[in-house]
Amino acid sequence: MRRNAPWYLLAVLLVALVAAGCATAPAPAAPGDAGAAAPAPAGDVVTMRLATVSEPSTLDPNLAEDYFSITPIEQMFLGLTNINNETSEIEPELAESWTISEDGTVWTFNLRQDVTWSDGNPVTAKDIEYSAKRAVMPETASPYAYVLYSIKNAAAINQTNIPTDTYDIDSLGVKAIDDYTVEFTLEAPAAYFESISSMWTLRPVPSWAIEQFGDAWTEPENIVVNGPYKLVEWRPGEKLIYEKNPGYIKADEVQIDRVEVSLITDQFTEVALYESGDLDVAGEGAASLPAEEVARILADPTLSAELHQGPRASTTYVGFTMTKAPFDDVLVRKAFSAAIDRETMVRDVVGSGVPATQFAPPGIFGAPDPEVGIGYDPEQAKAWLAEAGYPDGAGFPVVTYRYFANSLEEALAQALQAMWKETLNVDVQIEAQEFPVFLAGTNPDVPVEEMPEMWRLGWGADYPDENNWVYEVFHCTDSQNRPRAACTEADEKAKQASIETDPEVRKQLYRDVEQLMFGEEVRVAPYYHRGYTILAKPYVQRAYPTFAPVNWDTWRIEQ
Amino acid sequence: MIRVIIRRLLWFIPVFFVVTGLTFATMHALPGGPFDSDKTPPALIQQMEEVFGLNRPVQEQYFIWLSSVAQLKFGPSLAARGKPVESFLLPGLAVSVQLGLFAMLFALSVGMPAGIVAAMHRGSWRDRSATLIAIIGVSVPAIVLGPVLQWLFALRLGWFPVAQWASLSDGLIPYLSHIVLPAITLGAGLSAIIARLTRASMLQVLGEDYIRTAQAKGLSQRVVTVRHALRNALIPVVTYLGPLAAAVLTGSLVVEQIFAIPGMGRYFVTSISSRDYPMVMAVVVIYALIIVGVNLLVDILYTVIDPRIGHGN
Repeated sequence: MRRNAPWYLLAVLLVALVAAGCATAPAPAAPGDAGAAAPAPAGDVVTMRLATVSEPSTLDPNLAEDYFSITPIEQMFLGLTNINNETSEIEPELAESWTISEDGTVWTFNLRQDVTWSDGNPVTAKDIEYSAKRAVMPETASPYAYVLYSIKNAAAINQTNIPTDTYDIDSLGVKAIDDYTVEFTLEAPAAYFESISSMWTLRPVPSWAIEQFGDAWTEPENIVVNGPYKLVEWRPGEKLIYEKNPGYIKADEVQIDRVEVSLITDQFTEVALYESGDLDVAGEGAASLPAEEVARILADPTLSAELHQGPRASTTYVGFTMTKAPFDDVLVRKAFSAAIDRETMVRDVVGSGVPATQFAPPGIFGAPDPEVGIGYDPEQAKAWLAEAGYPDGAGFPVVTYRYFANSLEEALAQALQAMWKETLNVDVQIEAQEFPVFLAGTNPDVPVEEMPEMWRLGWGADYPDENNWVYEVFHCTDSQNRPRAACTEADEKAKQASIETDPEVRKQLYRDVEQLMFGEEVRVAPYYHRGYTILAKPYVQRAYPTFAPVNWDTWRIEQ
Repeated sequence: MIRVIIRRLLWFIPVFFVVTGLTFATMHALPGGPFDSDKTPPALIQQMEEVFGLNRPVQEQYFIWLSSVAQLKFGPSLAARGKPVESFLLPGLAVSVQLGLFAMLFALSVGMPAGIVAAMHRGSWRDRSATLIAIIGVSVPAIVLGPVLQWLFALRLGWFPVAQWASLSDGLIPYLSHIVLPAITLGAGLSAIIARLTRASMLQVLGEDYIRTAQAKGLSQRVVTVRHALRNALIPVVTYLGPLAAAVLTGSLVVEQIFAIPGMGRYFVTSISSRDYPMVMAVVVIYALIIVGVNLLVDILYTVIDPRIGHGN
């Protein structure tokens, strides 16, 4: 009989499984009920449940580069200045006031004296000096150091060829004059430094915690913060939990005590969890929902009332290899841009966003309003192509449009291909690649014969100023210049605007640059500004900023 | 038996070097690197690679990696800067193993009885319906089954949570209720495979002489089936189950995505597309360890099912 023991064991396990299944059957109504009723009763801990499609890659302000990292950093670390979620204006945060020297190169920030770190230390000008130096030091390997290149010697220090060459970190143009005054010296006048001062890369960080814990200083047990929220738990692959920082300067104005951010990579699951009441907000983690879901939500009276849509500071474009035939001819580039039916693209393919004819979207300082550039005009497109020597597409070679593989990009590529065929009667091959392969294969140093004629790329704002767009992305020598454009008047004007201090003159210069780059030279064809599509329960009161990141401390859950 | 185990374990050493060496070389041969971005200037990318030692010769990087593995350190993830890869993989593996065990349990408890019943009643309606269900089970992928189960049992009927994970510390009922739908989704295809294998090998065994002998000496049908037929019929099933178990226990990207489960399956895919070399290597080592471990377990199981196998060595 002993030989039969394993089979009895299996039988017991089977019974256990069946019993487990039965036992659980009536129970799970509970999570659904709890969510449908109220996320938290009054007087209790007010909890908000959000989702993200990706975990933060770092919580270190000096190192962060992506949306998923910047959003939590915004909640935990204060900047010199803040971008108001409603108005997109720069407002004081740590800095009470700031002055600019007459020549526009010395910026002096006067700090509040009542802000403390969560371990009780005061937040001082030295923390900002330390942060700026740390971000720029080549050993830190910050992917965002380049946004600080307007600070004196920042580029030189950051590009030092370590370990063979040395640099003097004290030559960096930042200095704590006293505990509550910090002074930045710039390479040249830069009106956009006000925007830079809001950036996460320049936020004060606690030097003592970094020196004690090294890379692990942002772990929940070690992290020291000065903002409204503090990370209390990180379950890798599952969720991050933040709680209100009781020592935050305006803690009594923060209503939500606890924020749970679950990692949910499938957006259909995210919406299902929202519908079952397990999430208070859906779509926030990727800033938009898939077009199929948006269509279903719009058809549902309850859900559609909870849907919020609007533009975000991000633009998608078709890039042209300007040194490769036939796109070395501006008429061909113009024809391809004018053949893109931007309305249809936004409405039927993407499901969110707004049509674009210029690079910088609304809400960015200096973005022309109304937009300049080339819009959808099929007759003009045909005329331009004929003028270039290809009447009705006759004799036009087969060209390639390359994109990186994901479902939205594939749909966009197919739509572009169809639009070019229909309007211009040209054949475009579309070619998908994995993102790192795609990037490596369209780099500015790739030999021109290996380049596709056209490729997909986009840009999202780092700080809300045109300098971050036309100058930092397309300047012929000071940017990556992926279209490989030769220097023209547009580049001169973009450079001039970056050191101009009069806001009205800057706006006029940027209007010219946008029209030259995308209306006359057509270095790329911008075709839509991405949008947000977010579902939020009626009890969530919050802002929907055009320019991320959001501020949870201004959100409320009202019952 | 002990000798078999020791020999198996020694075999892991060459397997380790071949698997890790090949993976290391292939990963580094892929175009693109972990810090590539359309935003970061190329000079800065090079600098980051310098700081993380990625511009050294690949062989040198491999030896550096080996020496850190010798100290049981798999290095910091390049995609999540500063966090060791173990801090992602160990909790992920723990979740995947739990989910995988439930999926296997489901697959065995459905697949084996279905296969046995089908074989015993060959050609009957029971056989045909079991075969039909098995074919459906094999052909409906998790990416379809998961959302269907989710829609029906969670959103419509409200019997189970829509998604997400609960650990045992959250209570037994929440733990089990969160695991049911993903376990069925992960185990459905497996149960169909097991059912077909069990049926086929039962049919073969049922035709053997010793079964006729057993029947002739007057043993009941139940005893003949369980003690004589099933035991021998199980050997091909167990053989097949070994490598399958390794795959199931290390998680499935699709099931994890649909049910928002914090398993380690996702790291198989994301670590490659983000060129997170230390993560890729750690994932490969864990997978190799589990394959070797499961195969060893299968060998031991053989000797339990059929003692002749052990003595043969």
